[in-house]
Amino acid sequence: MSDIIMMGGSAGATGDAPHDAVHAFERHRAELRASKRVWNILLLAGFAICLGLSIYISQFYPDRLASGVPRIFEYFGTIIPDLQWDLLFEGRTEEGRAVPGSLTYWYTDFWDYVGLIFETILMAITATLLGTFFAFILSFSASANLAPSRWAYWISRRVFELSRGIPEILLALVFVFMIGIGPLAGVLAIAIHTTGALGKLFSEVNENASSRPIEGITAVGGTWAEKMAYGVVPQVAPNFFSYAMLRFEINVRASSIIGFVGAGGIGQELNRVISFYSDDRVLAVLILVVLTVTVIDLISERIRHGFIGKENF
Amino acid sequence: MLKLEKLTRKFGENIAVGNATIEIPDGQMVGIIGRSGAGKSTLLRLLNRLIDPSEGQILFGDTDIAQLSGKELRAWRSDCAMIFQQFNLVGRLDVITNVLTGRLHTIPTWRSMAQVFTPRERAFAIQALDRLGMAHTALQKAETLSGGQQQRVAIARALAQEPKILLADEPIASLDPMNAKIVMDALRDINKQDGITVICNLHTLDTARQYCDRIIGMQDGRIVFDGTPDLLTTAMAREIYGAEAHEAFNEAATSTSIPAAQPVRELA
Repeated sequence: MSDIIMMGGSAGATGDAPHDAVHAFERHRAELRASKRVWNILLLAGFAICLGLSIYISQFYPDRLASGVPRIFEYFGTIIPDLQWDLLFEGRTEEGRAVPGSLTYWYTDFWDYVGLIFETILMAITATLLGTFFAFILSFSASANLAPSRWAYWISRRVFELSRGIPEILLALVFVFMIGIGPLAGVLAIAIHTTGALGKLFSEVNENASSRPIEGITAVGGTWAEKMAYGVVPQVAPNFFSYAMLRFEINVRASSIIGFVGAGGIGQELNRVISFYSDDRVLAVLILVVLTVTVIDLISERIRHGFIGKENF
Repeated sequence: MLKLEKLTRKFGENIAVGNATIEIPDGQMVGIIGRSGAGKSTLLRLLNRLIDPSEGQILFGDTDIAQLSGKELRAWRSDCAMIFQQFNLVGRLDVITNVLTGRLHTIPTWRSMAQVFTPRERAFAIQALDRLGMAHTALQKAETLSGGQQQRVAIARALAQEPKILLADEPIASLDPMNAKIVMDALRDINKQDGITVICNLHTLDTARQYCDRIIGMQDGRIVFDGTPDLLTTAMAREIYGAEAHEAFNEAATSTSIPAAQPVRELA
């Protein structure tokens, strides 16, 4: 076989027909690369323009940054507690007053904070459960491969987009006006956002589900709901669980901030101490918030990974 | 009696099944043969309406299956069980629940949604599994089983439907000869003992000859042969299979006869 020379990629190939094939291939490849190059240049230019604009608009200049850095420390200076070593573990006096410079003085409201942080976690749990529930219910009709009708698909997609598109804090403001200050407003706001965010993820998981089990349930005469419950849910449940846990972590952070607009939780206290005192109490609350979020993240990550490992994917 | 009248299914310009007219009396075991893409699968899927027909009728008794929708369509599917080449079990559900899905049509929605099955239903499912020799796997996840085992579970699911007709779409094409034989024996047993009509797509000729009362040959969407196995001449078979004749006659590939005979010589 004289054509074998072609395998080595030799340009001086023998025979006209294989040569034409090589030629055609090389030309096609060159065209493809040229068209890709144009696209790459266009994309790069677009990116450069966006970057330039955003630097200009946000005034992200080195000198501004440099002049701002010391002010960070000024602020930290005001919220650093004035602790004294010799008084650090001093309890309260007979009149029940805490001694300035002691931990007790710094964390006078410790049990209030703990109560509020507990409330924050409960808010996150409730919001995650509610949001996951609605995301679960709607995710099947929001999957292109499972939707019972175009209408159901369109509506559930839009519901997800809307509830995900509005920032939580805005929703919380609306709910605070509607039902008053307190955790319920925050829970509702976070739950709605969770529905949108998880719904999108869930429906994408659904779209990757194998159609074979679903066809199996169709063939036994199952209804749409039965196809979902028996054909899809067993396939997607571990993934759903993992996403819901991840969302729970995010929701703990969200619910510690959402109190800024009066929607309950530790955020409400953080907002109060920042706007009224702006002293060491701010740091006292901040430390607790960061600790809580970290601990929750660690625990939930453990559970999530344990679950994934067990289910093998 | 199942009666197809000028049943046609087009995919765009392409005619997958054209003008199929057949009568299948109750209790027959029918093998449909033909090369890949001949329309065997489409024909079977039309029968339990996993695919909708473009034209024509499917008559079962006095009902036109082609016109059914909603509740009646689901009732038909439940009467007309199907087993698939790739088994189509729910891998993450345990075997018994997979078989119990065969009962879905008969149980109220709230129970099916809550996956609550009565002890009687469970017993029924276990008996179906036991008939296929699979009862010991009942609590395992279906995906942990081998292909042959999964197909037997799929047949148990079909049995749990108490069907009038059993459709099998290339039931043994993914199996080794040993398992293929077990599955085909089970299908024939169901046909003979329960009197259930079995319509089975088969890729290999010898299996069809060995197990079926009647063979239907398809080519390019048309029915080109319909008769008892002994009427199927070598020339006819070669025409039906065309370029795939060699593969179809080669027993070693996916055949059910374990000590390989020499079908090509037999036919010649």
